[in-house]
Amino acid sequence: MGIFVLFLILGLGSGAVYAALALGLVVTYRSSGVVNLATGAIALYVAYTYAFLRQGELVDPIPGLDPTPGIGTGPLGFWPSFGISIVIAGVLGALLYVLIFRPLRAAPAAAKAVASVGVMLVVEALLATGIGSSAVSVRPIFPYHIYEIFGSRVPGDRLWFAALVIVVSIALGLWFRLTRFGLATRAAAESEKGAFVTGLSPQRIALVNWALSTIIAGIGGVLIAPIVELTPDAYDLFIVAALAAALVGNFSKIGVTVAAALIIGMLQSEATYLESKSWLPSSGLADLVPLIVILLFLVVRGQELPARGAIIQHTLGLAPRPRGYVGPAVVIAGAGFVALAATHGSMRAAIITTLVMAIIALSQVVVTGYSGQISFAQLTIAGVGAFSLTRIQYQLHVPFPFAPLLAAVFAMIVGVVVGLPALRIRGLPVAVTTLALAAVLQNLWFNNPDWNGGLGGSPIKDPSIFGVDLGVGSGHGYPHLSFGVLCLIVLLLAAGGVALVRRSRLGAAMLAVRANERAAAASGISVSGIKLAAFAIGGFLAGLGGAMLAYQQTSANESSFTAIGGLAFFTTAYLAGVTSVSGGINAGIIAAGGIIYTLVNNGVPLWICVLLLGLLLAGIVHQAWPKFTRTSLAVVALAAVAAAILHHGGVQLGSYYAAISAVLLIFTVILNPEGLVGPMQTQLAALREKLRARRSPAQTAAPAAAGAIAAPGGLAAPDRLPAADVLAAAGGLPTADELAAAERPARRSPPDGSARPLLTVSGVGVRYGGVVANEDVSFEVLPGEIVGLIGPNGAGKTTLIDAISGYARATGSVELRGRKLDGLKPYQRSRGGLGRTFQGIELYDDLSVRENVEVGTMAARSARPDGGHPAIGIDAYFKILDLQGVADQPVRQLSVGQRQLVSVARALAGRPAIVLLDEPAAGLDATESRWLGGRLRAIRDAGTTIVMVDHDMGLVLDVCDRIVVLNLGRVVAVGPPAEIERNDEVKRAYLGTTHADVQPRPDQPPQPVQLGGPDSAEVIR
Amino acid sequence: MSAVLTCSGLDAGYVAGRPVLRNLDLSVDAGTVLALLGPNGAGKTTLLLTIAGLQPPLGGHIGLSGAPVRPGSPRAAVKAGLVLVPDDRSLFKGLTVTENLKLASRRGSATTVEKIFDYFPDLSRRAKIAAGSLSGGEQQMLAIGRALMQDPKVLLVDELSMGLAPVIVESLLPVIRRVVDDTGAACVMVEQHVMLALRIADTAMVLAHGDVALRGDARELAADEARIERAYLGRSAKT
Repeated sequence: MGIFVLFLILGLGSGAVYAALALGLVVTYRSSGVVNLATGAIALYVAYTYAFLRQGELVDPIPGLDPTPGIGTGPLGFWPSFGISIVIAGVLGALLYVLIFRPLRAAPAAAKAVASVGVMLVVEALLATGIGSSAVSVRPIFPYHIYEIFGSRVPGDRLWFAALVIVVSIALGLWFRLTRFGLATRAAAESEKGAFVTGLSPQRIALVNWALSTIIAGIGGVLIAPIVELTPDAYDLFIVAALAAALVGNFSKIGVTVAAALIIGMLQSEATYLESKSWLPSSGLADLVPLIVILLFLVVRGQELPARGAIIQHTLGLAPRPRGYVGPAVVIAGAGFVALAATHGSMRAAIITTLVMAIIALSQVVVTGYSGQISFAQLTIAGVGAFSLTRIQYQLHVPFPFAPLLAAVFAMIVGVVVGLPALRIRGLPVAVTTLALAAVLQNLWFNNPDWNGGLGGSPIKDPSIFGVDLGVGSGHGYPHLSFGVLCLIVLLLAAGGVALVRRSRLGAAMLAVRANERAAAASGISVSGIKLAAFAIGGFLAGLGGAMLAYQQTSANESSFTAIGGLAFFTTAYLAGVTSVSGGINAGIIAAGGIIYTLVNNGVPLWICVLLLGLLLAGIVHQAWPKFTRTSLAVVALAAVAAAILHHGGVQLGSYYAAISAVLLIFTVILNPEGLVGPMQTQLAALREKLRARRSPAQTAAPAAAGAIAAPGGLAAPDRLPAADVLAAAGGLPTADELAAAERPARRSPPDGSARPLLTVSGVGVRYGGVVANEDVSFEVLPGEIVGLIGPNGAGKTTLIDAISGYARATGSVELRGRKLDGLKPYQRSRGGLGRTFQGIELYDDLSVRENVEVGTMAARSARPDGGHPAIGIDAYFKILDLQGVADQPVRQLSVGQRQLVSVARALAGRPAIVLLDEPAAGLDATESRWLGGRLRAIRDAGTTIVMVDHDMGLVLDVCDRIVVLNLGRVVAVGPPAEIERNDEVKRAYLGTTHADVQPRPDQPPQPVQLGGPDSAEVIR
Repeated sequence: MSAVLTCSGLDAGYVAGRPVLRNLDLSVDAGTVLALLGPNGAGKTTLLLTIAGLQPPLGGHIGLSGAPVRPGSPRAAVKAGLVLVPDDRSLFKGLTVTENLKLASRRGSATTVEKIFDYFPDLSRRAKIAAGSLSGGEQQMLAIGRALMQDPKVLLVDELSMGLAPVIVESLLPVIRRVVDDTGAACVMVEQHVMLALRIADTAMVLAHGDVALRGDARELAADEARIERAYLGRSAKT
């Protein structure tokens, strides 16, 4: 009992620093949407500053100068040192915001994560190079009384530390709740536009919050310094526990976050004690704690699909479709072989490393680039491949080539396990979980002396086939060309496989999931299945790469596959272009140990350094102050020439390589948030477009010339409406009859009431907590009908659509074609013939119109093997909906009206029997709305029954055969438009005293009275 | 009455060299409502964003009571009294109604939260509710109320009716009229519901394809629907 309590209290120390870091994370996230992975590194820097101030020296990070110059006052006492360190911490936070994260305001979350990792790498590299890795000792800060608790003697400093952090968190909470600035922080975090129109300044708010965040992190860093040994990597894995705590608090609840952090610290301490037990692993148990906490949290809180209203941003950049296999394969094979043959020694080794890292990077391409899952664990999963290889060789005696394949299979299994949390969550929590898992793998397995060779790593036998030694060799002739060729072959196979995936339906489904999970499910895609497939393929590739790396090093070493190394690897891959095969290969080229790294390490002429750095700076100048571009370029050129003249020979970057490359990383992220390859491909695509347009000018949409360019007014343009043709022919304004005749095909007779209903909704009810959104809703839809669903705001219309399509849990029953849909997931209902659109449109912004609609065909192809030629089908829909002119444009360039139509087309592409349209006329003006009505009739005539929710009463009354009226979650009336229009109750609640006929339209002939069927203005049960 | 808001030769858009609106001249007197109509893609929202400083203009000038307003700066616009109610309302969903309003209050201002509740009695009943839990109509009321807290000299309202049932829109528009009459502010209102908008407006302007297609007195235009329709289709002669 005594030992138990002792270790718990000891754990309060680390728990307190986790809490401080977690608070820092919460503050920066809430104020600027950035998960600052550098928080731990910043705490470390502040701790070093404090430690050296106590000795009367100031930490100077600027390379080339004395890293710890004396400040002339001699050793300082606690309060001055602490005070100055905290001020420096605040300044650091403000600088980081102004220089790095404010420019990245609009960048995707992944880019911000990459930038923060860059900061972490810079800080750690500068500290390691400037100050060195010998431990710096710090005198205790808190009183070191020993207290007697439960019979054991515990040090009091931990208790003081925890108490202090709790006080800080309470103060912070009060500040957020009660002060105007705290309120403004919460507000700006929610809506930047809202902040602007309220007269708040989101930038100033973020600046103060960043300073606050680094101050809190700095306090934690200083106070933990006496307790742990201060070395450059001492605080490395603090960030994992801090992230776990912040995650439990949902990156917003301060109290929960602090409590979680303290508990994690205490449990980790217990786990460390337990490692001494012989029957438990002797390392890595502590790292299990944050992971288990995260997983528990996910089980309790996670949900499968994002809730309605959540804004998902997955702009990772274009993922172009590879045009073929042979061409790129020949290029890679040719260039690779020549490079290998023409070099020797360390240069050839660098090329081999490039090839192997490219294989691992391809796993990142599949998991992150194609499927949008941010995984920091790919490098560590590669380690699984390496360490499995040892076991496979020495214990299972499996020969080459089956051994590495089997290792890849093991890695694949681990990859799937790593990916399981992603089924319940998305975005940054997935990333945090993968990081925690990587830490566990690193310490529980790779580092564990029980299972592996410890510092020397685990031995790996050379690969050989039919007696021919394919190993990397040693001494003279290292590395062997044959081994290099082996790696090249494996890379070619891997690249070919990834290209195959991209071109296949699986690849299209992955991109759809990446862009918008809800819409993907509505298109018939099993989102969970796709995510698992992505992690499986990624795991296999990573494992394969790890095995090859192990062959190259002739041992499996933990240092090559650390969790923090995985973070750095992610940033490399992201930067190189994570959305394409060429990006993966690029990643190999710039990875640590690869070609560029070795070239630079071997000594780079000063003028090249100056030139490269200068170009990057000029790039930033060009973005911010375009007027000075030419001046800055001239300055750079002069400086380079000067350097060439003044300094001959090379510059040994040596130990500063890590810091400089991290700085370059940050610059590049700011300039190109989507990675290096992205903009290049955008330019290529634009070039291709221009060539195509020149070849066939007739295809470019004429209405785009009307002036609205960012949003080509294709739909609003008058030339599109048939009325225009009539006008041109008649030479004057059309009469009302002419307009009506030109627009509307002969009105179909209403559907036969005696036909069996297509869709039956019986007693459907939806509750959210205490709120009843729908109650006892029942109605039927006959084949060939257009049924309108109207009601005041809050009547439960969209909730009803969600319930019918499976996005909301509901009581009651829904039948389609006589088959019950209850219990089926959205993608299953979609494949069963039920299509829908979304109120927020929710298109895949990265993809073109055609690609968006193609995704919708998944539902059709999965359901019916005789799907026909989907390509032909799509063009027919483009014609019906008049989208031919914009079919190949990216969706983000279209006007609202056109986007509505694309969304409808996507739902129709699944060949549904019935389609539920949620506010298809939202954002359309009078003319477009009328046009939409005509299109809806055309769709119905082509064989799809329609249920539509909308507020545009003109459209609804005009186009629908029957209307279902909801109010306060219940059906209040069902009937043909004429009856609904006259119904008093409906009028009072919804239409208002003046009729909703408020759009300018020519006088219409009176509505024909609807005949037939059991439809009358009474509630149908 | 003198013009409170003037735009001269305004080019508005998102990409340099490709304006969505060209060479726009606009003038709104104090205490009047200008209804801004037109088909989608005409540039109405772009115009409001530009006046409110959320989008820098590509050319031309914006002036308030004769004094130029620094372009492209939301802070300068709000300080001058140009307040926007965006089409997506942009409320702070996690904050309560009162907190949303309080954040917008200005030092030394006569407008208090009570005054807003006086305009919108429904809101006072929901004072402690988080903005994200309000109904659509209540959210629109809060968005307008938040703008009113800033004592606007020019109130810019973008698509007040979006997503709202007609009966609610009918109850909100008279409040705008009342505010304009009480405070002497000017109002520019972008609307899809032409007839509803014209009922409370003094002047109206139809924008189509980046140009002014029609401009005039609201009552006259309300009586001539066909002319508005032609302007939407870009066919009528300019007045």
